[in-house]
Amino acid sequence: MSMHIGDSPEEAAFRAEVRAWLSQHAAPRSDDGGNWHDDLHAHSIACKKWQRVLFNNGWAGISWPKQFGGRGGSHLQESIFNEEQAKFETHTGLFAVSLGMVGPTLMAHGTPEQQEVFLPKMLSGEHVWCQLFSEPNAGSDLANVATRAIEDGDDFIVNGQKVWTSMGQFADYGILLTRTEPDAPKHKGITYFIVDMKTPGIEVRPLVQMTGVAHFNEVFLTDVRIPKANIVGGLHGGWAVANTTLTSERGFIGGGSSSWSVDELIDFARERGLDKDPVVRGKLAECYARAQTLTYLGYRLRTAASNRTMPGPEMFVMKLAYAQHWSRTMDVAMEIAGAHGMISGDAAGDAMHWQHNLLGQFAIRLGGGTNEVQQNIIGERGLGLPREPSVDRDQPWRSLAKG
Amino acid sequence: MNFDLSDEQQVISDLAAQIFSGQSTVERVIEVESGDGFDRTLWNELAKAGLLGLCLPEEHSGLNMNMVELALVLEQQGKTVASVPLWSTSIGSMAVAEYGSKDVRSSLLPAVVEGKNVVALALANYGANDVMNPSVTATDTDGGVKLSGGKPAVSFAQHASHVLVSAKRADDSIVLALVDLKAPGVTITPVEASNRQPTANIEFDVTVPATHIVAGLEGNGREALRWVHEHALVGLCALQLGISQGAIGIMSDHVKTRTQFNKPLSAQQAVAVRAADQFVTTEAIRVTTLNAAWRMSEGFDARQDVLVAMYWATEGGHSIVIACQHLHGGIGADISYPVHRYFLWGIQISTELGGASQHLSRLGKLIASR
Repeated sequence: MSMHIGDSPEEAAFRAEVRAWLSQHAAPRSDDGGNWHDDLHAHSIACKKWQRVLFNNGWAGISWPKQFGGRGGSHLQESIFNEEQAKFETHTGLFAVSLGMVGPTLMAHGTPEQQEVFLPKMLSGEHVWCQLFSEPNAGSDLANVATRAIEDGDDFIVNGQKVWTSMGQFADYGILLTRTEPDAPKHKGITYFIVDMKTPGIEVRPLVQMTGVAHFNEVFLTDVRIPKANIVGGLHGGWAVANTTLTSERGFIGGGSSSWSVDELIDFARERGLDKDPVVRGKLAECYARAQTLTYLGYRLRTAASNRTMPGPEMFVMKLAYAQHWSRTMDVAMEIAGAHGMISGDAAGDAMHWQHNLLGQFAIRLGGGTNEVQQNIIGERGLGLPREPSVDRDQPWRSLAKG
Repeated sequence: MNFDLSDEQQVISDLAAQIFSGQSTVERVIEVESGDGFDRTLWNELAKAGLLGLCLPEEHSGLNMNMVELALVLEQQGKTVASVPLWSTSIGSMAVAEYGSKDVRSSLLPAVVEGKNVVALALANYGANDVMNPSVTATDTDGGVKLSGGKPAVSFAQHASHVLVSAKRADDSIVLALVDLKAPGVTITPVEASNRQPTANIEFDVTVPATHIVAGLEGNGREALRWVHEHALVGLCALQLGISQGAIGIMSDHVKTRTQFNKPLSAQQAVAVRAADQFVTTEAIRVTTLNAAWRMSEGFDARQDVLVAMYWATEGGHSIVIACQHLHGGIGADISYPVHRYFLWGIQISTELGGASQHLSRLGKLIASR
């Protein structure tokens, strides 16, 4: 097969079909980049509505097998659809965890019953999912989770606290990491559950961020009863399952269609009469070069996904490069914004969009593993640097010093 | 969409890797460096394998391939800092094949494929080093074009048979000429280049016959120079990709095995993170270079793609070789240790046809004036 960096004729035809359908069912994206959502409730309703439209028209889960309600298409087609969809005023963020992380995880590790019950309703938008992974003392060191699950008949009873739960206030189900065997080394005593968010004992408390919205939440679990049938990947087998979820998370953060583009930044500079300033031009060029690089890194990942199994360090490279690109572009945007860059909220006019993305950059830099976590993994897998000697890898989790 | 190499491209890449890593060992590089700087044994091996005619037409015994394949071979050269004029000979002969008259094609190209002709590229200029504004002047004469003026830092000029030189007429139109380096009126002054490759300044006071005016007799000089410039830039990106990988390979071996404070250097996160960043930058050079080479091979407009790749090759390549040199500490300062060659090549490539700010400035103009 010869090299081809761009759409093949079949892919171009698919893209045209997608674009034609989208232009019938969605409005073009507004000039100010528009789809920053400061009213999360309205956003969540719009997301559900749009997911329903996708599902009814056969565009939900493009790469998912038909047996789970998907289209049975390729990952490449799904990427093409997402690229085109991003050019329209569509709302999709509510389902990022469901479709980008939980779906792939259940397809890989779920029981046939779990797949049958949950996957189709993710696609139809009936169920919204959230991720209950991070804890106050288990961030980068996720395997240190302390939320306890204790066996009780056909159930487990769970107590603990989770944090940084995106859109948890709207979720119907969660994927939950718990400690089930405190006497085993930390990676070997973790169990992965599906939990109904309406179960008694679950309390979701929104965390308001600098952007003024509460994208994230704290989730407190008190004597939450979860049936054993909701275990994914076996008792104490949760770490491998969690890694599938995290790989998917890095993939969609790194390859995500942004709520902004360098083209929009160039327009922004033009509107302020700065597009001819040579220094600004140089900075725009650097943003453009980084954006193009991410495009090709993405193409390479898609090729790898189509032609063979997932590659080594490429996805970590992409996630890191994406986070760096995001923050540098927002720095340039704030320089271009001038005095409006100081104003937060509606009075900032078209600068608000950029400021929100500046303030929101930390979700990108930190989610799915921080930039530094990516760098450590790249050192290990890209350069073969030895893992840093780990003092806690083989110790019973119970004996480790707790933060 | 397929970002993978084809089977044929993989074969070319493997063949080049085998030849360069087999022939251009550290010992051999040192030996060549202490001689005249041209590894003719390696050059003959490349000729035997057909790689000197990789992108030349079949009618001149070439393999009729294109920039992606050339980039793969140059990448392997960069990895071993092999001292051969592959970049200039390939790009120069491709330009002759693309724009030259039948006469000049058949007199130059078969001997290039055999390894007998070596082509130097005189694209850089005195002053602001703007490739599109040549510092040699061209004046039309009966039956040819007279060239006057100089070109700086032409690599392998003292070993080449020919040089492809860009010149400018008084009306700002451009001429590309293939000049016989033995011709009277061509003065070659060897200079020491930062990458230790044989290099010379050239002064021209010579009339080139019309047959050897590769482009510019029919008003296509500017287009041809842009063609050569873009191909030359992508060639440099490919060399820099190899340089970066070579440097990172030596560096990561060093930080894994060098022990301080009773543990390997790489166990210090400040070291490991800096090392990892160089890997990320190398991947950026890789994907953008392959993309630019591919678009060029397919005949698409690649102006922006070339500049994106060149931004990474200059800004990124420069920072990679500095980091790799730095992480060696004092060991790297001793020139009997091989890492310094990658540093020297890296900074040379970051300068050869303009630095990062020049490429960003041109890219900024293209994208902001759409």
